[in-house]
Amino acid sequence: MENPSNNSKVTRRRFMRDSVRSVLALGIGAVSGLLIGRSTKQNIVWQLDPEKCVQCGRCATDCVLDESAVKCVHAYDVCGYCELCGGYSKPDAHELDTAAENQLCPTGAIQRSFIEDPYFEYTINEKLCIGCAKCVKGCGSFGNGSLYLQVRHDRCVNCNDCAIARNCPGEAFSRMPSDRPYLLKGEQGLT
Amino acid sequence: MQNRNHIFSSITLIAAVGLLIFYGFTIFSGRSGRDENPFEYDVDSFKGADSSLIHYAEVQSIDFEGKKLTALTLNFKDELIVAAGREIFRIDSMFQSSLWITTQYPVRCLATDIEGLVYVGLENIVLVYHPDGSKQAEWDDFPRQAILTSIAVGDSHVYVADAGSRVVHYFNNSGKLITRLGEKDPVRNIPGFVIPSPYFDLCIAKNGSVWVVNPGRHTFENYLPSGDLVAQWGKTSMRIDGFSGCCNPTHIAMTPQGEFVTSEKGLERIKVYSPAGQLLSVVALPEQFDEGTVGLDLAVDSKGVIYVLDPSRERIRIFGKKEVS
Amino acid sequence: MKKLNINTSRAGLFLILFIVILMIGSSAFTQNRFPKPEFESDYQQSQTTTPDPQAQIYEVMDLFVLFLMLVLATYFAHRKRSRHALFILAIVSVIYFGFWRKGCVCSVGSLQNITLALFDKSFMIPVVVVLFFALPLIFTLFFGRTFCASVCPLGTVQELVLIRPMTLPKWLSRILGLFPYLYLGLTLLFAATGAAFLICRFDPFVAFFRMNGSLDMLILGAFFLVTSTVIGRPYCRFVCPYGVLLGWMSSLSRTHVTITPDECIKCRLCENACPYDAIQKPVPEQNPENRKTGLRRLKMLLLIAPLVILTLGWTFSRLHPLLSRVHYTVRLADQIQREDSGQTDLTTLESQGFRSSGTPTKVLYDEALRIQKQFNIGGWILGGFMGLVIIWQLVGVSIIRHRKDYEIDRFSCVSCARCFNYCPREKNKKKTKVNE
Repeated sequence: MENPSNNSKVTRRRFMRDSVRSVLALGIGAVSGLLIGRSTKQNIVWQLDPEKCVQCGRCATDCVLDESAVKCVHAYDVCGYCELCGGYSKPDAHELDTAAENQLCPTGAIQRSFIEDPYFEYTINEKLCIGCAKCVKGCGSFGNGSLYLQVRHDRCVNCNDCAIARNCPGEAFSRMPSDRPYLLKGEQGLT
Repeated sequence: MQNRNHIFSSITLIAAVGLLIFYGFTIFSGRSGRDENPFEYDVDSFKGADSSLIHYAEVQSIDFEGKKLTALTLNFKDELIVAAGREIFRIDSMFQSSLWITTQYPVRCLATDIEGLVYVGLENIVLVYHPDGSKQAEWDDFPRQAILTSIAVGDSHVYVADAGSRVVHYFNNSGKLITRLGEKDPVRNIPGFVIPSPYFDLCIAKNGSVWVVNPGRHTFENYLPSGDLVAQWGKTSMRIDGFSGCCNPTHIAMTPQGEFVTSEKGLERIKVYSPAGQLLSVVALPEQFDEGTVGLDLAVDSKGVIYVLDPSRERIRIFGKKEVS
Repeated sequence: MKKLNINTSRAGLFLILFIVILMIGSSAFTQNRFPKPEFESDYQQSQTTTPDPQAQIYEVMDLFVLFLMLVLATYFAHRKRSRHALFILAIVSVIYFGFWRKGCVCSVGSLQNITLALFDKSFMIPVVVVLFFALPLIFTLFFGRTFCASVCPLGTVQELVLIRPMTLPKWLSRILGLFPYLYLGLTLLFAATGAAFLICRFDPFVAFFRMNGSLDMLILGAFFLVTSTVIGRPYCRFVCPYGVLLGWMSSLSRTHVTITPDECIKCRLCENACPYDAIQKPVPEQNPENRKTGLRRLKMLLLIAPLVILTLGWTFSRLHPLLSRVHYTVRLADQIQREDSGQTDLTTLESQGFRSSGTPTKVLYDEALRIQKQFNIGGWILGGFMGLVIIWQLVGVSIIRHRKDYEIDRFSCVSCARCFNYCPREKNKKKTKVNE
């Protein structure tokens, strides 16, 4: 035999809980609804704006991956195809050749191939590139700026809080919808 | 057993507090890592010069705050004419500037002749203005891809440097195109201009021939009106006596004595060379410019004073010879 | 007819506009581009490769898996009452969400995206992230923290490595249990101001899932992994901010797992079964004397509550210069200010980057001041919240509620089903089931 007053206490309590629960459920629903209303169907990915990049070297050191997801890419239609390439040769290079001691890249990731006098093509070996931006600086100050950094999405694990973005002195990183995941230079960037 | 638990939990607790302090510190102090760039692209060692070579000092400057300076020239009266975007200014002897002409497209280069006519190079048109400001002629006989970067006017010759087509257009002074100079021609031993970026300057010599910068090869080339290449000099090096990068020097001017004044990008410096290519003196070093300054157009007046257009600091900077002590 | 005219003129206007836009575009085009060399050989210019980001379908799949696992976890906990099944599900979670999907996107971290999206309208938030945030909360509101039991990869890692649980002194776990509230408050403050994503930055296991990461993240991961072997779910209980929200939901949940399948016989066998301190012992009926002192304590607490809340609010708001330093802009402004006033000769990469950008310092200072103001207000709210939490905890301690049976503390129970097998009634029931 239950105490009637106790019983009413229990139902009152239950009623309270039910109503608070409903309010909470409604609250979660409302917040989600509000945000879904202005959310994107796209995924969000990280990318860096080459115009804001200050070539600080942190892309190479600060990525959570051992081998950074940021690498150098080449805008071929911006390149001057020079023999003396500020991004390829060391400032004090003795010869403009492909000898390792004359190369600027610390990992030798830039390949130079002769096309015709006086033009040379430069390509990046992404397996070797560490994203240090040394060549970006060299190319930018002496050349046309055709070498620049991009987050490579085949490598990026898309952290919610990008460790490089957090420390980027140029504040060059931003979140992009995944249907335009690159900020390219040259003709490819215009389309 | 109890004791071991106790020890373990104490150690854990201390570690937790330690971690908390450590991570708290990293987050409030900002960065945990180093603050220098281990991959610094370092050209500092090339930024200096022997002080015995520095014969010039900045004597004055003319402010153009908020203007995107593009070109400058001096007329026969040593009066400055400066272009900023679509506007052309005249500067009087008191260094007061006044708007003179507004063009339809941005001005890329300027030149004057001995009668005071002003030649204004837009992307692919040359406009000729009378000193009173009226337009006298419009020359548009240029290829579609033309990007005009420099004009030089002699007694009866007008040379127009075209970075887009990589040639020098040679006109008579009534605007008739006579020929194009400098196209690659192995038979005549003409190497062809290598122009990776739109910097391609030239100046006219006393004998009417033209000195053209081949910026991709870091050379100066001397062409006769006939198109023959008669002389050339140049040195590729980051050191003070050479030119480096993809395209240097970006601008040149000639002193009354026939010496060359040069400006560079990458290592922003201004130097004077003898007609044969010997480094004579240093006018300005990279420390005197903002890093990344490009487009230091040059002019020299009849007394040898050097006028430098500094687009980054938005002013015309004037360098005079230092008194010899 | 007239109408048509208007339409055609409007079309004309649009055409002109279109041409103008095209011209602007094309002139920008020629400005941008310098003719590249005209090659005489048959050289073909290469293109910059652009590897695609991960396909959308994976995120949708994540969502589907999350939902499915929530349903399964709830089913295993409530209906099957099977620790075994939950354990296997936990392994699946670690493998799928952890090692395969590398720990991102996670419900715990989504809290920050939600917060930032609420405060910053320009912040883009994908639908998937919103649902990752909402689904576990809704489930918990109805069934308790089954999400924690077998779905959350951070929780399940700790669940799996817990080898030899030991209990912490009650006072200690109470004090440590306050930290998640502080962490929640800080997380919300930093996320709302766009200063930092604290949870992601100090994610204990993401480096472990990726087998890759910075040294400080690896240290953090190692610490939690080692600790988890003897202390039950240290991250969930003493750190996880999302856990606070889940705890609140769980406290009000419609149904919740119970220790015993039917009635408690107070055999005390389950007393030490829970490594998470979520089993509450029976409390005998109090004598009226105790009740009176309890009431008096309660009154006192309610009296000093506003004082505590205001004091803490004031304290935290006074801390705003320190707290706001987490924001990049504030740190940068401070550095620039110290450089300009000659307090330091050392420039940082940040200050060099700022100076090369050409932004006027006034813009930076104004922005920094605006952010600091936000932190001042945020500090009041955070402090007030902490005051409330502390008072609430003290109230919880002072009100001794009569309890007949061994019951689950709904706030902290993660529905791991460990205690079920300790209950003789459970064994009994299973036996009869088998016999049938």
